[in-house]
Amino acid sequence: MWRFAIQNLVSRPLRSLLALAGLSVAIAGMVGLFSVAEGIDRMVTDTFSRIPGLAMMQTGAPLPLFSRMPAGWAKEIEQLDGVRVVNPEVWSRVNVIEGKRVIAPPRFLFGTNIATRKKLETDVYRDAMVDGRFLDGTDHNQLHAVISRQIAEDNNVGVDDKLSINGDDFRIVGIYHCGQLMLDVSIIVDIDLLRRQIRFDRDSVCAYYIEPDGTVENDVLVKQIRELFKGREIQSTGNIAGAIATGHPLIDLLLAIQNWLAGGTRASTDMATDADAEPIEVRTANDWAERFDEFSTDLNLFLGVMTGIGVVIAVLSIINTMLMSVTERIIEFGILKANGWGRRDVVMLITCESAVLGVAGGVIGCLLGWIGTDIINSTWPDRLQLYASPSLLAFSLIFSTTLGIGGGLYPATWAMRLSPMEAIRRG
Amino acid sequence: MNKPTPIPAIEIEELTKEFTIGSTTVRALRGVTTTVSGGSFQFVLGPSGSGKSTLLYLLGALDRPTTGSITIDGRKINELSRDDQDRFRRHEVGFVFQSFNLLGNLTAIENVLAPFLPIGVSADLRQQADHLIEQVGLGDRRHHRPRELSGGEQQRVAIARALLKQPKLVLADEPTGELDHKTGGEVMGYLRRLREEQGATVVVVTHDESYIEPGDKILRLLDGEVVSNTQPGE
Repeated sequence: MWRFAIQNLVSRPLRSLLALAGLSVAIAGMVGLFSVAEGIDRMVTDTFSRIPGLAMMQTGAPLPLFSRMPAGWAKEIEQLDGVRVVNPEVWSRVNVIEGKRVIAPPRFLFGTNIATRKKLETDVYRDAMVDGRFLDGTDHNQLHAVISRQIAEDNNVGVDDKLSINGDDFRIVGIYHCGQLMLDVSIIVDIDLLRRQIRFDRDSVCAYYIEPDGTVENDVLVKQIRELFKGREIQSTGNIAGAIATGHPLIDLLLAIQNWLAGGTRASTDMATDADAEPIEVRTANDWAERFDEFSTDLNLFLGVMTGIGVVIAVLSIINTMLMSVTERIIEFGILKANGWGRRDVVMLITCESAVLGVAGGVIGCLLGWIGTDIINSTWPDRLQLYASPSLLAFSLIFSTTLGIGGGLYPATWAMRLSPMEAIRRG
Repeated sequence: MNKPTPIPAIEIEELTKEFTIGSTTVRALRGVTTTVSGGSFQFVLGPSGSGKSTLLYLLGALDRPTTGSITIDGRKINELSRDDQDRFRRHEVGFVFQSFNLLGNLTAIENVLAPFLPIGVSADLRQQADHLIEQVGLGDRRHHRPRELSGGEQQRVAIARALLKQPKLVLADEPTGELDHKTGGEVMGYLRRLREEQGATVVVVTHDESYIEPGDKILRLLDGEVVSNTQPGE
């Protein structure tokens, strides 16, 4: 039966190929679109799995870049049970590298306290060094930087070379490679140097990275930190989330999502007047992942609508192909019925044919989608990270097969009702 | 190939068949009552529109009569369920049509096996099909498609297809209609061999009386009614 079905399709090559092309393109489109969401999911999961500690930021800030808080709070946090290291961070956007404006992908100057950073048991950047060395005491207040391999390749520089960042010539002391879009954007420098360079208040930081010592559950530690700072005032700072566009679509999107999740921004002075107000929030890797999941749900809905349009076209294409094929083969069905083929057999034959189209379209579509995401990833490695997971490919294949079978059912039902006698008379 | 099967007698009683074309009702058969002897070579003769083919298709359970009944081998085939009618056609009836009616996508041997595709083709069945293709003289053309065969060869494939079922009843609708007289004679010869070797009842609708031989039965129809049911010379 299957062989017969395939022979029938092969005997009408143009029509079969057109139906196959329609379905393949729709499935490839589906794989491509959903690989965007999967790529984000994967990137977020992978990124935050490498950062086991807690991020403490100003409430409402989507990223440390948009957060401000007193530098003196570090000592208070260190006193809490379960805290191993508190590493203050200052972040700033890089506007110009080597005289060229930086729009996308974005680059960030990441000022870190070298002394406390060295105490971290797990350091996502230090652990990813591929050339040179990480920052040490000799780099304090020096125009020294550790950059990602991506940035080094983009600017054709290596260890000990100079790199002009926002007009200052930094010496590259080391190169790291995390292989993650969200991590490889950082240019790591000494925190005090960065404060001076960007005229950042010396008594402020953007955020704290808190490494637990494992003696207290993360959830408990988060609660302790929030309780510690409840009702505190963050002076002379403002949540600037929403006021700054980074120029990078993903980061700007994050900003918008964060604003939405936080219900909009609030002035720090308002927070200070409320004893129960919490000026800071502490995020674990799970918190980040959950926020992205919420974002992914909406994205999937949008992608589903887009895919749906393609799928409808593909289904109509299959129905049209099979209906035309059935119309052409009325006599053939009459002969088959005269020779003992039942109505179910005829339906089975047509369904087999459309299922073959569905499976073939699914396989080709998945291949095209997978190859397409691979090409996109390798063409723009620092801008896009799409991911067509095995489960997405398997789902697409099953979906395509179901579409194929579904698309053939109506023509099959139509053929089933044909009178064999009338069909043979036509012959 | 020979097997001891009961020879069916066909009893047709008050058979009518009406078609509605637009607002017009066409009465193709008007109360046909006759008997076809088991194992006979029965010709059905008559002018165009006399109801010959309609009668043949009703005998093959390809359609249901408007009224009346057809009893074959003790079974009223017009009362069989749809599935039973399918089984009846698959296993007990061999059809041979005027325009050969082979499936263009299949080779000669695959056409012979076509009735059995839904239930699966065993090695034994394939061997039988090979043997039949040899028997009808197409051993070297078994893998050719219909378009690569002459009219006579196509009709021989159709006969091999009918033979594979080892049918009790063979229904042939103008089997020589598109063939020259010599090839038509060969085709008719295969049908006669089928009757002799397998004891099948063969019903042939034709316009051409030159193929009629002594001992054959002749049913004449006119305007959907039986004119006579005789033997040559009667």
